[in-house]
Amino acid sequence: MNITVPKCGSTEYMARDMCSRLGLGFVQAPEYSERTVELGVTLSPEHVCFPCKVLIGSSVEAIELGADTIMMAAGFGPCRFNYFAEIMRRVLEREGYSFRIITFDGPRDAPLDFFRNVRLIVPAANKGLAGMARDMTLSLRKGWAFDEIEKQAMAVRALESEESATDKAIAECLSVLDAARTRLEIDEAREWIADRFARVPVDLERPYIKVGLVGELLMSIEPYFNFDVVRWLARHGATVERSLHMSDVFTPLGRNPVLGYNTPEINKAASPFLCHEVGGHGHISVGATVQFARRGFDAIVHFFPFTCLPEVISKTVFMRISNEFDIPILSISVDEQTGRAGMQTRLEALMDVAWNSKMKHEERPGSSPVVAPRDRVPL
Amino acid sequence: MTRVGLPRALLFHQYGDAWKSFIETLGLEPVVSSTTTGEILTSGTAHTDNESCLPVKVFTGHLLKLKEAADAILVPRVVTQNRGMKSCPKYLGLPDIARAIDHDLPPIFAPVMDLADRRHKWVNDWYEMALRFGASQSAARAAVKAMLASLKSCMAPLAGAATTDAGFNVGVAGHVYNLQDPRVSMGLLDRIRVMGASPLVVEKVPRRLIRRELKTLERKIRWDSESDIVGAVLHWSRSRSVAGVIYLSSFACGPGSMIGALIEDQFGREKSVPLMSITLDEHSGEGGLVTRIEAFLDMLRYASANDPSSAAGGAR
Repeated sequence: MNITVPKCGSTEYMARDMCSRLGLGFVQAPEYSERTVELGVTLSPEHVCFPCKVLIGSSVEAIELGADTIMMAAGFGPCRFNYFAEIMRRVLEREGYSFRIITFDGPRDAPLDFFRNVRLIVPAANKGLAGMARDMTLSLRKGWAFDEIEKQAMAVRALESEESATDKAIAECLSVLDAARTRLEIDEAREWIADRFARVPVDLERPYIKVGLVGELLMSIEPYFNFDVVRWLARHGATVERSLHMSDVFTPLGRNPVLGYNTPEINKAASPFLCHEVGGHGHISVGATVQFARRGFDAIVHFFPFTCLPEVISKTVFMRISNEFDIPILSISVDEQTGRAGMQTRLEALMDVAWNSKMKHEERPGSSPVVAPRDRVPL
Repeated sequence: MTRVGLPRALLFHQYGDAWKSFIETLGLEPVVSSTTTGEILTSGTAHTDNESCLPVKVFTGHLLKLKEAADAILVPRVVTQNRGMKSCPKYLGLPDIARAIDHDLPPIFAPVMDLADRRHKWVNDWYEMALRFGASQSAARAAVKAMLASLKSCMAPLAGAATTDAGFNVGVAGHVYNLQDPRVSMGLLDRIRVMGASPLVVEKVPRRLIRRELKTLERKIRWDSESDIVGAVLHWSRSRSVAGVIYLSSFACGPGSMIGALIEDQFGREKSVPLMSITLDEHSGEGGLVTRIEAFLDMLRYASANDPSSAAGGAR
């Protein structure tokens, strides 16, 4: 059984770790490339959304490399994502590929289905159900560590005083984390990672701005789709914090250990602007944006796939947040036709606005963004 | 007297009567925006985010039309319509979209409607809203009761024979708010009638048959109206009660795009009746639509004339 999973942030790292623990074969889908997008766009129906097309292209590439089982998450959300797996299956079957797709719904929504799906993997694994559950939590723990590395790197990259000091730290941390297997080792590795990033040489005199990165999972996390915006922002003197991390998404009970805010906190922050869950990660985008604005961030960048349902709602709501918190928010929708130049021009404009407003605020010390009182109380 | 505005868009076409009866029972004056005009469509398109779907743009146009005409606007948040189902994210965030679009709108009231909840917990929201309008407790209770009673008739399937005698049958599947709006659908149903075919709509297919067809799918569809559409379309095609199916969806409609892909694939696998998908947006022209329907109907006629074995649904 050669398993492959959609490539997005730390998902692959966690899946590879789990497969090695269970003795299953794992096929890494190749890095996203023009070919992935082209394959996906050619095969998939016209109106399905961009991530679905990309995942179809990526699955084809993984199958070509020898994968025979695709593991997909689905869930019961109202966003298009809950039907991705079915459309993927139909398209790939029509094209004559031989594979099996296992669609995992949330264990809390459909415990029986979840159990049945896990049982499909058991015969190929070298462990029973209990051992499998233990391994899953360990892999998830490793995912947290992986995402923490990313989070630290985003925060520190703009300030590094030596060229590629951050990249060196990332490489060292990853090699330490790779070697960790038991729970104790993973926890030690996490402490070591925090230590290692504290030792990255930084230039504290350098002026910097803080930018929040929010949006849909694939577009905000994968550097291929946002044209590696994190590094781009770092070159322009911005430390970045991102609202979504894959390991947070897989952590049950909405604890979000990497992000640092749990789901109730996020819902509360979002509530005057978006009072109901809208599927996908629209609620988190809005809630995290409000949190970032309150913490004095200088700008927000919002990435989403073209016509994404939840994120278009957040984009509409951002008009109001941007006014009330006096914070520039740039929404960029991504699809197969998005070009680097257009995105760069808009990001440069955003940087100009953010730097200017930062200078202005510094001239008037103690001044905070004015929040206009609202008379409309949501029911 | 307080005038409460109701935009004639989206789920108003389904639950409008219930909402109106709620407002009337409270002794307030319901103000429903006029039927969609080109002007409403244009202003809606100009004020909404450009990636929103057509129905939301239409909704925004109606909303802005009510700016002067109403003292408060009612935009219920419809969370579910059937058990185990989900609404489209746009319904869930609709009041928030409405509040974000324009600062100067009258206050927007957004009580929850969770029709799958058998214990009707959601009516508390409506009760509280009635109190905020200044109604007494008994008046509020009466209004809620009136709404629930009228809701029952809204939810009941449309009466009327499934087939008619004029010409041959064509299944027209699409969202109620698109098909019921003559400007948005450009009078699609009437045009089909004029061209000598009789259109069948999703709302007239019995729920029992819809559920039966839905069970044959590998993965359950979790969107309310879309699962009805898929069930009805599969019923029409498998029972051969129509000569062809027209699937009407709007550009950037999320659930619509997924089930569109599903229906196309399923029809291809079953090699059943012909299917035409039409995607509407604010740029859709009448000419293009008419030509395509004409061509589709001609093709159906031609196909059934050359195929004497075609069943009762076929053209004469």
